[in-house]
Amino acid sequence: MSKKIVSFPMLGNYSVPIKYFLSHILDCKILEPLKITSKTIELGNCNSPEFVCTPFKFTLGTYIEDLKRGANVLFQAGGGCRYGYYFELQDKILKDLGYDFKYINLVTKGDQDLKKIYQDLKELNPHLKVDKVLYYGIITKTMIKYMDKCDDYIRQNIGFEVVKGSFEKINKKMLEEFSKVKNIFKLRKIYKKYYKEMKKVKTNKPKETLRVGIIGELYTIMEPFANYYLERELASYNIEIKRYTNVHYLLFEKKRTVKKYLKYAKEYIKYRMGADAADNIGRCKYLCTHNYDGIIHIKSAFCTPEIGAMPIINKICKEYDVPVIFFSFDANTSETGIKTRIEAFYDMIEMRKKNERMLSRN
Amino acid sequence: MVKLKIGIPRSLFYYYYKDIWENFFDRIDVELVISPKTNKKIMDDAIKYSNDEMCLSLKNYIGHVSYLKDKCDYILIPRIDNYGTDNQTCTNFLAAFDIINNIFDVKILNYNINLNKKETEENGLINIGLRMGYSIKYLKKIYKNALKKAEEKRLSLIRKNIKKLESEKIKILILGHPYNLYDELFGKQIIKILEKNNIEIIYSDLFHSDITNKLSERLSYNLYWKYNKENIGCIPLVEDKVNGIIFLSSFPCGPDSLVNELVIRKIKLPYLNLVLDDLDSMTGVETRIESFIDILEGMNNNV
Amino acid sequence: MNECYLGIDIGSISTKGVIIDNDNNIIASLYSWTEGNPIEAVKKLIKNLKKQLPNNYQIKGIGTTGSARKLIGLMLDANIVKNEITAHSVGTLNFYPDVRTILEIGGQDSKIIIINNGIITDYSMNTLCAAGTGAFLSSQAKRLGIDIEEFGEMAYKSNNPVKIAARCTVFAESDLVHKAQIGYKIDDIVSGLCKSIVLNYLNNVGKGKKIIGPIVFQGGVSKNIGVVKYFKEILNQEIIVDPNSHLMGAIGIAILARKNKIGKVYDLNIKDIKFEINGEECERCSNCCEILKIYKNDELVDAWGSKCGREFK
Repeated sequence: MSKKIVSFPMLGNYSVPIKYFLSHILDCKILEPLKITSKTIELGNCNSPEFVCTPFKFTLGTYIEDLKRGANVLFQAGGGCRYGYYFELQDKILKDLGYDFKYINLVTKGDQDLKKIYQDLKELNPHLKVDKVLYYGIITKTMIKYMDKCDDYIRQNIGFEVVKGSFEKINKKMLEEFSKVKNIFKLRKIYKKYYKEMKKVKTNKPKETLRVGIIGELYTIMEPFANYYLERELASYNIEIKRYTNVHYLLFEKKRTVKKYLKYAKEYIKYRMGADAADNIGRCKYLCTHNYDGIIHIKSAFCTPEIGAMPIINKICKEYDVPVIFFSFDANTSETGIKTRIEAFYDMIEMRKKNERMLSRN
Repeated sequence: MVKLKIGIPRSLFYYYYKDIWENFFDRIDVELVISPKTNKKIMDDAIKYSNDEMCLSLKNYIGHVSYLKDKCDYILIPRIDNYGTDNQTCTNFLAAFDIINNIFDVKILNYNINLNKKETEENGLINIGLRMGYSIKYLKKIYKNALKKAEEKRLSLIRKNIKKLESEKIKILILGHPYNLYDELFGKQIIKILEKNNIEIIYSDLFHSDITNKLSERLSYNLYWKYNKENIGCIPLVEDKVNGIIFLSSFPCGPDSLVNELVIRKIKLPYLNLVLDDLDSMTGVETRIESFIDILEGMNNNV
Repeated sequence: MNECYLGIDIGSISTKGVIIDNDNNIIASLYSWTEGNPIEAVKKLIKNLKKQLPNNYQIKGIGTTGSARKLIGLMLDANIVKNEITAHSVGTLNFYPDVRTILEIGGQDSKIIIINNGIITDYSMNTLCAAGTGAFLSSQAKRLGIDIEEFGEMAYKSNNPVKIAARCTVFAESDLVHKAQIGYKIDDIVSGLCKSIVLNYLNNVGKGKKIIGPIVFQGGVSKNIGVVKYFKEILNQEIIVDPNSHLMGAIGIAILARKNKIGKVYDLNIKDIKFEINGEECERCSNCCEILKIYKNDELVDAWGSKCGREFK
């Protein structure tokens, strides 16, 4: 194989820290994946088995685009459900298509094996040292944490910004500086600077706003193209958004938190139900008991763990009388259909809120 | 005194554990109520109580629980977390207990299998027995016996299945999960069609599972689902003995969607991929099977 | 001069229009076919409504709903554009203030709306495909060579509905053909189809919803007495089908237009308005979004369809 060119699947803005990490520890060119577009999905869709879940199709499409652009080492990291098994089949499909490349999965049989990850990386860069991996690993971890913190703030406020696009502009600039950062102190400084800037963005947020929680399957939640820019759509209705799933949560918090969720929602669940199903049931109860106006559950079509969670989520929402709406996204979901449903959902929660206020006044 | 009634849904878990359960509970003073073979009423209830997007097999399970809900004191629903990191199951086996517990107002006898945490089936069943006042010594003994009887029965079935490989007839390996293969409205319908056409049927689940579990690595090196491993692991054993393979799965089975696709890309045998969504409508299935048999016969005559 | 309000519901199959007065009385109404061209359909519709409208009325508000609501809203300069779920509820509540459940099956969509104390508390819509909707029924009627108007009556008469697998259009079609081939009576097949639509609706759209009376059934399919019969039978409750059930969305949006009037007076001389839509492919990225540019009298008034949020104006 000639010079190694490394690429990885697209996941929202997380391509920035992933690229950062890989480019510092590997001695090869890093090819940042293109944003997911309709063409990516078409490529993924026509080469995938029919009833596989959507992230498979999206990541496969990205890989084909990357390989066409010259990549020859591909990364994948998934586990918890059938995500962990994606790579073997994707490897076969891509090889059957005639591509020559190396495929590295950071998750073995659904579990993180740090030793194996290190060995895989060592193969790509024989001079790799553990301290270097740790050094950049910590910076990357912190970068993800900062990104997720900013995202949380943006999500709560973007629907109310006075000048449209203010938040996105600052966020973009911050990510750009993040990608060039040399050490953790500098990283912290940049984060503080931009976080302050974000706080200064003028918003016209009224005292009482509609608040909606988004729960569901992780990929669909984190990749805006996969959820038809749901958050943008909600923001246009001046809705404050609460979302839990982000990379920092999945990598560093989930193991601890899921136990808390099991305890918290013990009247509904006893066990982990696979992937994020138990987490979402816990979050659902939290949202229901903390004055949220509605819950939106999203997933890719055929996501087995979330399908199992749906009847329970529905039951909780019924008991607490909180409106819930379920979306199942596929590569060919109709966009107009989604917009109509969101608009109606907005109308409904708005009407309910008005009604509540009227009743409380009387 | 009235005996305690324990209900067992004839679906999912049942097809893996029925012999152990039947023999074990036979020695305990309870009455087992096993739901009947899947029928139209059960399927109607399945659709009524389940979520539209669930896989057909989980819907089927829900239908069977619905049948039992007012006919017994407890329903036996185990949960399988894993048989070790290399041997996990579809997330429905992790979730079935909690799903049922929320859909129906029933009392459930539950135990968890998590070999990574040393939680075994034996301990699970013994705990149930302890709650009924039996001694641990007695329970250990009857579990051992139950296991032995179940294994003997399985061995004889495996022997029969392997013997069929010597048959002169056209041989088809039918590859699928036992809860689909042996369900009255599902696999049995397909088997009937095959038998009518004078086919020797080889069942994918009736091989020594420790062997098939290992052999599966030849087709998929990263597979971590126990049941899929044991299904596809028989292919290396039979591929030069059977004429073709029928892959049978329920729509939209998560593990099968990936594993079967990978296997299909690797095998050289003729195959038919049957994914069933609605048990009421076998329309077209018969035609597809018959034309598959025609192809196999044509190939057989040319050799 | 009396005030009145125009509501238009433009669906994939049919276009509905009503004009109401300040007390929500219907002064004029029309049900017509969209025939794939919402602009032309609306022009024709308005021409007809104008003829029905007495001289001493002036239009003080226009509302649009249905799948082409945005486009027609722009064309008519409507003062309110709302989704059909809200419109249907408002319309129904006007006639049945106590309604608790609205069942609706239209051309491409089906929905259920749960109402409590006059406000929507829950709703859901069909998910994946058009199985069990009006379009599906008419295509199956055509396949069996039956007039869609007779369809309901045939179904109503039969007492032996054949079981049809109607979860998916494709499966349903092959099942239907198969059942017809092996000699089932056509009445029983038609009846089975109606029954399966009801079952399917309740298991999909109506899943997990508590269906409490009074129940109002509307949308195009509510005119099919076969479907109504099976709703009654399976839910074991009274099903109300309003004579104006097919117009409910239009009535609702007309009411909303009245509530949100902005003081403007509308004339209905739209036949001279030049209204054009140009579809073009955006070439900025490989999304290749189909951008619809809307021109009113040669002026670009709006554009939509971009996934990235690119502005065109």
